[in-house]
Amino acid sequence: MRRSVLCAAGVVAAAAGMLACQENLTSPGQCPELCPGGTPVVFDTVLSAVQGGDESVPGYVSPGQGSALLVSNGLPSTEARAVYRYVARFDSIAVRDTARAYTIDSVMLVLNLVARDTLVNGLKVYLYRLPPEFDPTVATFDGVEPLLNDAALLDSIAVPDSVNSGPIFAMFRGVDTSKVSIPLGTGGVLAIGVKIAAESPTGIRLGSLAFSTGATFNSFVTLDVPDTTTSIVHQTVARGTQSNSFVTQSPFAAPPATLLVGGEPSSRSFVRFDLPPRIKDSASVVKATLELLPAGPIPGLATDPAILDVLPVLSDLGPKSPLDEQRISQATLPIGGTDTVRVDVTQMVKLWQSASERPQEVALRLRPEAASFTRAVFGSTDPVSPVGSPRLHVTYLLAFPFENP
Amino acid sequence: MVSFCALVPGLASAQSSQFGVRGLGAPGRMLSAHAVGSAGAFGLFDGESSLNPAALTTLPTLTAAFTALQDYRHVENPAGTASVRESRFPQLGIGGPLKGLPLALGISFSNYTSRDFTLATSDEILLRGVAVPVSDTFSSRGGLSDLRFAGAYKLGGAWVVGGSLHLITGSNRITSARSFADATFLTARQSSEISYAGVGFDVGVVRTFGPNFSLAAVARSDGHVAVDRDSARVAQVDLPYTFGFGVRWHPRPSVEVATNMIARTWSGANSDLLAQGGTGSENTVQVAVGAELVPDLKHPNRRPIRFGARYGTLPFVLVAGDQPTEFGVSVGSGIRFAQQRAGIDLGLEHVWRSAGDYSERTFLVTLGVTIRP
Repeated sequence: MRRSVLCAAGVVAAAAGMLACQENLTSPGQCPELCPGGTPVVFDTVLSAVQGGDESVPGYVSPGQGSALLVSNGLPSTEARAVYRYVARFDSIAVRDTARAYTIDSVMLVLNLVARDTLVNGLKVYLYRLPPEFDPTVATFDGVEPLLNDAALLDSIAVPDSVNSGPIFAMFRGVDTSKVSIPLGTGGVLAIGVKIAAESPTGIRLGSLAFSTGATFNSFVTLDVPDTTTSIVHQTVARGTQSNSFVTQSPFAAPPATLLVGGEPSSRSFVRFDLPPRIKDSASVVKATLELLPAGPIPGLATDPAILDVLPVLSDLGPKSPLDEQRISQATLPIGGTDTVRVDVTQMVKLWQSASERPQEVALRLRPEAASFTRAVFGSTDPVSPVGSPRLHVTYLLAFPFENP
Repeated sequence: MVSFCALVPGLASAQSSQFGVRGLGAPGRMLSAHAVGSAGAFGLFDGESSLNPAALTTLPTLTAAFTALQDYRHVENPAGTASVRESRFPQLGIGGPLKGLPLALGISFSNYTSRDFTLATSDEILLRGVAVPVSDTFSSRGGLSDLRFAGAYKLGGAWVVGGSLHLITGSNRITSARSFADATFLTARQSSEISYAGVGFDVGVVRTFGPNFSLAAVARSDGHVAVDRDSARVAQVDLPYTFGFGVRWHPRPSVEVATNMIARTWSGANSDLLAQGGTGSENTVQVAVGAELVPDLKHPNRRPIRFGARYGTLPFVLVAGDQPTEFGVSVGSGIRFAQQRAGIDLGLEHVWRSAGDYSERTFLVTLGVTIRP
C-alpha cells in the first residue's frame, strides 16, 4: 500500500513536471497550403492635401516673446540685432527706512548664449548703449542700427571658440563704470543693443526674458551707513531684463502660394486631408508619413537646426484651432536642404480612423518659434505653388480575409 | 469540472497538428489515458472514453476521470522544420451506474477538433521603393468541443445499449500579424473570433459472448455545425456520420486484446469547406489494435502493460488529392490505489503523420487521473 502511494506520488510529480512545460506552437508555414485566407497584402498610396484646405497664418509669437533673441552679421537668411532694456536701477538703497546713496565699484552685464554656429570661430559680441527711453517692443532695424555706432559702444565680449553656450559677460571697473552710469533724471534705465562679429558671417541666439534667460545688469556697490558699527557695506544690485526683442533688416517674406513655418512674428501652417473610406473605415495603417516639399533651400544657422512640429488639430477653428500637444510628431529641418521633409504621422492617422469627430488636419509649427534663423517654406495646394503640395504617404493593410472556418 | 469546461470550451483540446490548419482542425480522439495506452483499441469498451455510450456500464461505481496531454512535435514542411510543444486537457468525464438499476449515466467533455497552431512565414516586399523583409504569423487558438450527456442500459446479461446527446460548441480565435524588419512600420495585427454550435447524437451497443469475448458498435450523427464569425453567421458545415466497430478478446486470463475500426464521413463537409475557400475534406478511417497484459492476476489493476498501434487517415487535406495519414504506436500502464478509489494511468504514444512534403512526428504523453469517491 505504501509503495503504491509512493509510486503514485512519483508519477504525479513527473506528470506535473511534464505538464509544466512552456507551450511553443510556432512552426514554419508554407503558403498557400498552410495559409488559410492567404497572406496579408500591403497597400501603399499617396494622398494629396485637400485642395485649398491649407493655409499659412502669421502672428503667433512676436520677436522677443520666444525662447531666444537673434543676432547675426551678414547671415544670408537674416540680419538681426538684439536689444535689451533692464529693470530700473535706482540711485539709492533703503536701509532702516532711510534711502542711502551708494557708490558703484564695478558693473557686469551678463548675456546668456543659447546657441552659436560652432563651426565659426572668432565670435565677438558688441554691446552698445541705447537711449534710456528706448522701447524694444516697438523697435525696428532701421531705428536700431544707427544707434549701434562707435560712440555708443560699451564693450565687446570675445567668446572663446570652445564656448558654445552659457553666460558671457562684460565687466566695467574704475573709470569704465562711467560707460554704464545712469544719469539722474533718466529713470534709472539702461538699455543696450547687441551686434556680433566673427571670422565669417554667422549668427547667435541669446537668452530671452520669456524663458527666464534674459540679460542681467549687476552693479557692485559700496553703501556707507555711518550709524552702524560696520559703516561700509558691499552689496550687489542686480537688475534683470524688463523687455527685450530683436530686429531684422528685411523681415522674411515667403513666396506667394507657399506655406511658411517660422519667421518673426512666427507663422504656422495648417494642412487638411480627407482619407478615403477604404483607409478610414477598415484599413490597418502601418505607416503614415507627411511629406512636405521645400520651396527652396531651408535657411538657418548651420549647426543650430530647428525642429518642425506636426500636431493634430483638436477642432478646426481656423488659425485658433486648439492643437493636440500629446500626439506631436517632429522632424529636424536640414539647413540648406531641399529634399522632401518627411514626418511620421502614423499615430495621427490612426486617431483619425478611430475618432471620426477629429478633423483630418495637422498644424505645422517651428520650434523654437520666433527664436530661430530657420524659416521653412513648403509648397501648398495652390495651383501656382512653385513646388508640389503636402502629401500623406500611407502604407496599410485591408481587413484580412480570414477563412470560414 | 465538466460544467466549468462547458463554459470554457477552449480548455479541452487534443494534440494539434499542421494537418489541422485547414478545415475544422485536427480531430480529437475522445479517449481516456487508459485507452490511449493501447492505441485506442479498447476505446469502444472504455467507460472513461467518450466513443461508445454503452461502455458506461463498465464503470464499477461513480467515476471522475481527468486526462492531461503533453505533445512534443517535430514538424517538417517545404518551408522548414520546427519543434513545438503544448499541454492540453483533451478528455474529462464523470459517470457511473445508478444504484439498484441496470442503468449508467455520464457526462463528458471531449475535444472534437483542435485548431491550436501558430504558423510563421517570412518574405520580402517592396515598400516605398525599398525591399523590406516581413514576417507573418497566423495563429489560431481553440477548436470544437463535445459535451456529451450519455446513458447506458443493460439488457439482460449480454447486451448493453446506450445513447447520448452531443452538444458541439467551441470558439476559435484567429490572428494574423505582419511585422516589418523596418521598425518604422508598425506591426499589423488583425483578429477574428469564430464560434461553433451544433448538436449530435449517437447510439452504441456492447454484446458480450461469455466472459472472454465481446463486440461493440457505435453509430453517430453530428448533423451540422453553424459557424459564426464575430457574431455574424457566415457558414454551416456538415459534420460526419461516425460508424465504429470493435472486438475484445481474452485469450488468456492475463492477456486481453482488442481492435476497432472507426469510419467518419467527413467528405460531407467537403462542399461546405470549398464554398468557404478551404481545401475540402475526405472520409476517414481509423484502425487500432492493442493489448493489455496483467502481470499479477491477483491485482489486475496494478501496473498492467498496455501497448498497441493504430493507423488512420485525417480529414482535412492540405493539397487536393493528397489525404494525410497517421500511424502511431503506444505503450502505457496504470495503478490503482486508496482501495481502488483513485488511479493514475499513463500513456506514451509516438505518432507519424504525413501528406506529400508535409510530415510530423510527435511524442504524446497522456496522463489520466481517476477518482472513485
